[in-house]
Amino acid sequence: MRVDLYEKLVRAGATRRDILKGAASMAAMAAASGAGLGALTRPASAASELRAKILQIPGVGKGQPTDADFQKVGELCLDATKASVKEGEFAGVELKFMGLNNQNLHNVLFRGFLKPWEAYTGAKISWIDLAQADYNARLQQSIATGTVDFDIAEMGAPFEGDVCGKGLTSEMPDWVKKQIDIEDLVNYLKPPVGTWDGKQYRVTIDGDTHNFNYRADVFADADLAKQWKDGGGAGEWGVPKTWQQVQAVTKFLKGKKFKGQDVYGYLDAPKPWGGFGFYFLGSRASAYAKHPDDKAWLFDADTMKPRINNPAWVRAIQDVIDALPSEPADQINADPNTTGFQQFLAGTGSMIPWWGDIGSNVKTNDSSVVGDLCGFDILPGSDDVYNSKTGKWDKLPGGPNYAPNLAYLGWGVYVMARVDSDPKKQKAAWSAAAHLGGKDLAIWTAMYPSGFQCYRNSQHDIEEWVAAGYDKAFITNYLDSQFNSYNHPNGAIEPRIPGIFQYYSAAEDILANTFAGKMKAQEGADAIAAAWEKLTDQIGREKQVKLYKASLGV
Amino acid sequence: MADQTSTANQWPADAAPYDLISPGRKRLGWALMAAATLGLLATIVLEILYKTDTDTIGFETWRPVVYAYVLWGVALGIGQVLTRGEDGQRALFLLPALLFTIAMVIFPTLFGLYIALTDWNLSSFSGRKFNGLDNFWQMLNDPYYRNALFNMVLYVLAVLVEYVIAFGLALLLNAQIRARKFFRVVFLMPLMLSPVAVSWMIGKSLMEYRFGPAATLARHLGWENPAFFSDPITARISVMILDAWTFIPFMMIMLLAGLQAMSREVLEAARVDGANAWQTFWQVTFPLMLPVSVTAVILRIIFKLKLADIIITVTSGGPGGATDSVSSFIYREYRDRSNVGYGTMLAMAYLVIIVVFVTWLLKFANRFVRNVN
Repeated sequence: MRVDLYEKLVRAGATRRDILKGAASMAAMAAASGAGLGALTRPASAASELRAKILQIPGVGKGQPTDADFQKVGELCLDATKASVKEGEFAGVELKFMGLNNQNLHNVLFRGFLKPWEAYTGAKISWIDLAQADYNARLQQSIATGTVDFDIAEMGAPFEGDVCGKGLTSEMPDWVKKQIDIEDLVNYLKPPVGTWDGKQYRVTIDGDTHNFNYRADVFADADLAKQWKDGGGAGEWGVPKTWQQVQAVTKFLKGKKFKGQDVYGYLDAPKPWGGFGFYFLGSRASAYAKHPDDKAWLFDADTMKPRINNPAWVRAIQDVIDALPSEPADQINADPNTTGFQQFLAGTGSMIPWWGDIGSNVKTNDSSVVGDLCGFDILPGSDDVYNSKTGKWDKLPGGPNYAPNLAYLGWGVYVMARVDSDPKKQKAAWSAAAHLGGKDLAIWTAMYPSGFQCYRNSQHDIEEWVAAGYDKAFITNYLDSQFNSYNHPNGAIEPRIPGIFQYYSAAEDILANTFAGKMKAQEGADAIAAAWEKLTDQIGREKQVKLYKASLGV
Repeated sequence: MADQTSTANQWPADAAPYDLISPGRKRLGWALMAAATLGLLATIVLEILYKTDTDTIGFETWRPVVYAYVLWGVALGIGQVLTRGEDGQRALFLLPALLFTIAMVIFPTLFGLYIALTDWNLSSFSGRKFNGLDNFWQMLNDPYYRNALFNMVLYVLAVLVEYVIAFGLALLLNAQIRARKFFRVVFLMPLMLSPVAVSWMIGKSLMEYRFGPAATLARHLGWENPAFFSDPITARISVMILDAWTFIPFMMIMLLAGLQAMSREVLEAARVDGANAWQTFWQVTFPLMLPVSVTAVILRIIFKLKLADIIITVTSGGPGGATDSVSSFIYREYRDRSNVGYGTMLAMAYLVIIVVFVTWLLKFANRFVRNVN
């Protein structure tokens, strides 16, 4: 939108929010996605009647779903349960479900999805809700003190070492595999993810990788392009493809105005977030640190010696330090929740890495003002990549090195072993888990704010998204960013080793001090490495080496 | 009246006076208590020695100790009556409090001390390993812990400012002003709110950098980047303000009670003697209020030493540990890093520091009040 037009609208009484919400910047979108304008909504022949029906609840662009919507969707998806469970079969069974209530999602949705399941089966579920930052602590305490007081847990793959490795989970029965169509999972979420010692434990309900979210309108703006050129910016003004470009753009945008407002480039998330914040440094580092010839990038696979203090990671830490002065003044106090939901969706900042939640929220979250202004890609690459084996920076013949950060590997539903002694309870717990991991429910959770993204091949049907009300160019762009990350040959793999969140948390605290200027990048990295070494010795180095290698598939 | 009292103090007929208790009965009592004590100690020792991978500390495994403890309590009660007769019966009244104190104070403290001497991380495959004073030496060399202790000194010093404000408000509400009742209720309201709610309402909303009214006002007043929680100094001050806003009413209400309990005659006598308001305050009101003031300040300092919730909610100790309190630092050591052994050592050390500091503070305050009066 041109500034004069914007000002005219403001004079007429429109707020910035109205304008941002209403300004469907098609040209920018098209420029960003490389595609033409998408076809308008039309029925998708590939979509089943049921899927088409649930995807209209409440309908894309019709406000955020409510509990009544969750229940409606849950009820419509009950057919698979009815095929394996008789009505009232679980009467008298009581289950405890532990999960997140982050952003009022996760458990908040599960309650609604499972209400019809409870009504049909007769089982009763009580809930343990946890904030994201409290999750790891609660889980670890339950494991270590032998007080697993829940039957079902929403849990991420990184915790499988802590939980499945200690025999606390129930093995998935074959009928569940069939009900959830386990073969439909995208490749990177197939075994060994979700398994331990060859046994399947996890009902996957989410796929996680960090993608790159950017403001297409900012990078299609002619005024900024002119200023970029006049200021001697390298290349054409456009969406950065490498971290070197991200840094340059972020510094360039400092102090600039766009649509009458301050415009910012990249948004870092320096504030600790219960270990989960470390992924955001990982996303800055993966292109530097993950060499295509080496599966490991966090530790040496043979010794568990940390790589966090090698030149690649130190460069990533230094990038954050260098970029922070060009970011909003209070950025040092921003955690990923802030950058994703309070800043980017609210119109502040033009680039963030995040899980796919941003893409599934921009058009369906009431607080989003950037619905038609966003573009997506895999994480930026780097002109050179550090080779841990030679200790040198390599320039790859094929151009920049890309290494999507397969952060967290998504949430899953796990049934705890404590139900195994009671066949009825065991079946009930697995039935509830299978209901949440259903194929049809998955497409709905990927389209609406839920905390979950695509994790199945069947969710990559563009026409189905278009039929539900998504713009074709937008959704193609978004899904490509997701699936191209999932299927990337140089993905930076999440280690599923015990205590991984202690490693991340220890790093977060030291990083917070480093970003605040209390120590240099190398000093901070060295301090993290020392803390990690101590932790590895505490947990048991030999076992960690074995498990780390297993998680890398080495 | 005297008769009634003596009747009330008479013990039941079946209660044997001490000198009439037979030696056999005494021996039975002592044997019972000794057996129960040995049983309890043996159960505890077995519990500590019994190692099963990492699951050695859950309630399930400690159940035998709980049973042994209850049996010991019962045996102790019976043994007291058997061996001491009437005196033993009187001692029974103390037994519940004794058992509660042992279970809820002494045992957790001793157990905490033991945990502080272990290298216990919740993810460790080998569970707890005794590591002597390693955690203690680590603590002495921990710059983050030292930083948190330094912050605590600043937070505690802020209590003096809070006291001045609280005293001012108390004087105001003690004066004959309009709508006095209304103001009393209004000034007390922050005390009724949870500090976490205050953190969200003020720290996360009112003081929010982009849209918060406080930030907007600061911009109008010429502060270009009013990012309250981004600079170490403003972040510390902001946390102090949030905490003060919540707890000043507590000091204010104590001081107001003190002011209202003061004798009006003393104040009137000062006025008759020609003292102006300033002289009356410094020569009469302030000295008479010292005992109440000292109590209010010491209680407030004790609250302040536990400061954590506001910091955890708003800054997580940042930027760069600038706002970390010892409690918030220990909380993260447990919550984020599952480092139970080291976290417990930090907590134990902090407990010792608090006890020593508060003891010194009480002595100092007593001396100060005596000297002034």
